[in-house]
Amino acid sequence: MKSHSTTLLLLGMAAVVIGALFVAGCTGTGGSATPTPTQAPSTTVPTATTAAIGTPIATVGTASSATTAPATAGTFVSNGAKGKISITGSTTVLPIAQALAEAYQALNAGADIQVSGGGSGVGVQAAGGKTAEIGMSSRDVQDTEKAKYPDLKIIPMARDGIVMIVHPSNDLSSLTLAQIKDIYTGKATSWKDVGGKAQPIVVIGRDSASGTREFFNTKIMGTNATVSTMLEKNSNGGVKSSVAPNPGAIGYVGMGYVDATVKALNISVNGTGIPPTVNNVVTGYYPLSRQLFYLTSGDATGLAKDFIDFTLSPDGQKIVEEQGFVAITRTA
Amino acid sequence: MEQTFTVAEVPRVPPRSVNRESIISGLWLLCALFAVVIVFFILLFLVWDGLPAFQEIGLVPFLTGTTWSPTFVPPAYGILPLIVGTLLVTIGAMVIAVPLSIATAIYLSELAPYRVKVAVKPAIELLAGIPSVVYGFFGLIVLVEFLRITFQVPSGESMLAGAILLGIMSLPTIISVSEDAIAAVPREFREGSLALGATRWQTIRQVVVPAALSGITAAIILGMGRAIGETMAVLMVTGNAAIIPSPITNVLSPVRTLTGTLGIEMGEVAIGSLHYHALFAVATVLLLITLAVNLGATRILARLNARTTGRKKGVSLRLSGIVDSPQTGKVVLGLLALLVAAVIGAVGGLVSAGAALMVIIVLAFALPRLSRRRSQQLAFLLLYAAVGVVLLILAIILFDIVSKGLPALSWEFLTGSPRDLGRAGGIFPAIVGTLYLVAGSIAFALPLGIGAAIYLVEYRREGRLTRLIRVGVDLLNGTPSIVFGLFGLTFLVLFLGFGVSMLAGQLTLGLMVLPTIIRTTEEALRQVPQGLREGSLALGATRWQTISRVVLGPAAPGIITGTILSIGRAAGETAPILFTAVVFSQRYLPASVFDPVMALPYHLFILATNVPGAETNQYGTALVLILLVSAIYAVAIAVRTRYHTALRL
Repeated sequence: MKSHSTTLLLLGMAAVVIGALFVAGCTGTGGSATPTPTQAPSTTVPTATTAAIGTPIATVGTASSATTAPATAGTFVSNGAKGKISITGSTTVLPIAQALAEAYQALNAGADIQVSGGGSGVGVQAAGGKTAEIGMSSRDVQDTEKAKYPDLKIIPMARDGIVMIVHPSNDLSSLTLAQIKDIYTGKATSWKDVGGKAQPIVVIGRDSASGTREFFNTKIMGTNATVSTMLEKNSNGGVKSSVAPNPGAIGYVGMGYVDATVKALNISVNGTGIPPTVNNVVTGYYPLSRQLFYLTSGDATGLAKDFIDFTLSPDGQKIVEEQGFVAITRTA
Repeated sequence: MEQTFTVAEVPRVPPRSVNRESIISGLWLLCALFAVVIVFFILLFLVWDGLPAFQEIGLVPFLTGTTWSPTFVPPAYGILPLIVGTLLVTIGAMVIAVPLSIATAIYLSELAPYRVKVAVKPAIELLAGIPSVVYGFFGLIVLVEFLRITFQVPSGESMLAGAILLGIMSLPTIISVSEDAIAAVPREFREGSLALGATRWQTIRQVVVPAALSGITAAIILGMGRAIGETMAVLMVTGNAAIIPSPITNVLSPVRTLTGTLGIEMGEVAIGSLHYHALFAVATVLLLITLAVNLGATRILARLNARTTGRKKGVSLRLSGIVDSPQTGKVVLGLLALLVAAVIGAVGGLVSAGAALMVIIVLAFALPRLSRRRSQQLAFLLLYAAVGVVLLILAIILFDIVSKGLPALSWEFLTGSPRDLGRAGGIFPAIVGTLYLVAGSIAFALPLGIGAAIYLVEYRREGRLTRLIRVGVDLLNGTPSIVFGLFGLTFLVLFLGFGVSMLAGQLTLGLMVLPTIIRTTEEALRQVPQGLREGSLALGATRWQTISRVVLGPAAPGIITGTILSIGRAAGETAPILFTAVVFSQRYLPASVFDPVMALPYHLFILATNVPGAETNQYGTALVLILLVSAIYAVAIAVRTRYHTALRL
């Protein structure tokens, strides 16, 4: 009786699993012949990361000044510091720091660099409180934080442009800052109000604690309240995933997140559509440009210093651009 | 079998001193009190960190303010929309989950052939084993799009999406607890009813379900507790707009819950700011709501126990009283029908609301006029349909994840380190990290949990102290996982200075699974026949000798089951480790408990939200996580089935 029931149970479990695997296997092989939607982005995007900066130009279709390569390419020489450092904070900066850490560890065999997210607030707190060697922040350090951690050193390490993204089927190619403000304050509720077709606008933005939203508020919203029906997402990826399938949606993400699944809009200034290109971010012509920061408590030493040096070196800044951001060392 | 090694061994052991006995008993008392202490500790730390917000904002404006916009100038901290959002999503989840799960429980307990039952029960338990971040992920990609296209709305991110997802997530809890309640109805009730000529359906509807009603009510409340406390899944699908839907029946409006607010804002907030304290105040409110809900469930369950064990202290079951009276029953049903019509009206306009109302009225007249056989057929058909829906949901979710995750699975994926931000390479360090976290949390919670259970079952008669401890355990059980995460952050990481470390994560997870271990161990100990203890004690063995050599042996399978269920839960949770233990990447595996670790749920969370172009590995990670958790569950289920008969000596 005992063994009988066990056998039955195991058979049942096995049937469920095998059934699932079998059905999945069928579509899996089918998928290799005709790429399924889930496979398509994964094959395009990794190869497109280097070209990600170019994507907005391509989709918007505006001719723009050619991008110059970041500084002169050199070979970074590590000081060979050994040990372990931890880098924590902004999720916007996390992909850059992670890619930098992977490259740096290839150069310096004795280094162990641990990268984690948590948000800009955590980054400031961890660097200030010395629980991490390096903090990451996508926003300016607030006055209260400066007062609490007077030793905090702020090191700009990359530039970023905030890009307005919409569904690829949206026929608009640019918006003015005033129009964006109308959309996000709830004054404009249909795409018709800003020159598009008659379709309700689905407003998507970041959570109220996000460094990206804070930047957006400063640059666009001023003292006006955000429309209360805005869908809030806690990450750039979340905003993009919500905008990509939704024909009425608009959202904002860091330029590293723009890919073929969404359409990037130009920002129209005095009648000219300014695309979020590298050059326009560097020169500041693109109105939604910002810097990303490393934070340390006092001057960095040892491994942390070497890693920061690597980040700011031509090799490091090349990686920053490969992740879709703009090198801090780049000049117009 | 089990008795032979026990009774014969005992007399050869010389009696130990009383002193040693009291030390041991004191030790177990400490274990048991720990659960109570920790609940107060959690509450204390949350209130402590939330207090500045209560003081500065004021309790009434905080609770009744209708605007939550903490970064606006001037900031507004009104959490009424969040409370309303939480309640709406929870009620919606219950509207979806309750009929499905009660029907499934009735089917499993009353109708299902043994073979079907053996296959369906593990499937439903698998539903419980799917980590919430996987649900959220599925909801975001599949469910939200489905709703947007079906209802022709601008966005599918809505209260309805949250309600459906939470409804699915609370199914397993409600099903298994109400199935137990239905199975506990004495056989004589059924036999008596059938002997009087009632059909099976009449017996189920008018005898079995009313008799099990308080158990079913407790099941619903426990399910509600899970729904209120859920974080990761909800924040991915409800849209998180901090508004009160207008009209309130508009299920397609986006909403924001208390847990969602904590999940998305906690990470970015400046520690020590008013916003930070306000979030702790939100957590306090959340904790108080879940505590109230769980206390309600506990009281109802206690009443049920009192009745089935015949210790009825003149407490009548008020709920069953309501339904017993046909008049009130009709009024309740009528109100429910109006509510359903209102919701349908909000979604599809006046015409469909009218149509729904007509259908309900027609049904109300037609149903009582059906013959007994016809109505039984109709009822059973509905039961089968409900079970079918539950299994279909499981199949859809599993199919989606397995089919998209399978292409990612390879030897390198399982044994390699992530490269290119997890888009390439493997997830080996995350698998190891998850195992470390789980092992540590079990090593911490198992001795404590077993000790507490031993104390409750073996050393104490039921009294004030055991009641206090039980309430503590129940409250701990109902505490939302994100609240454990916040407690871990403020107490372990910041106050004790552990930093973001494996140890902080292990302890946080350990606290979370402690109540499960205590409860299952208690249950296992209770199932050991009293005669075994009495025999051992009569032969001169001390209490501890009796426990360690006679009682623990037969109870072991039950304890193992509880432990394995805890492992499954700990392996899949994101919220408790989010702020306490994890890093996205590290070069070497952690060398000490003060190092942070990588973990599968967190890896999946980051891949899904912060790494563009990682779709394949994202699904691969989800699949590995499900396989890991379900493998652990399969072992638990096998152990339970194997020893089921052995325990009922």
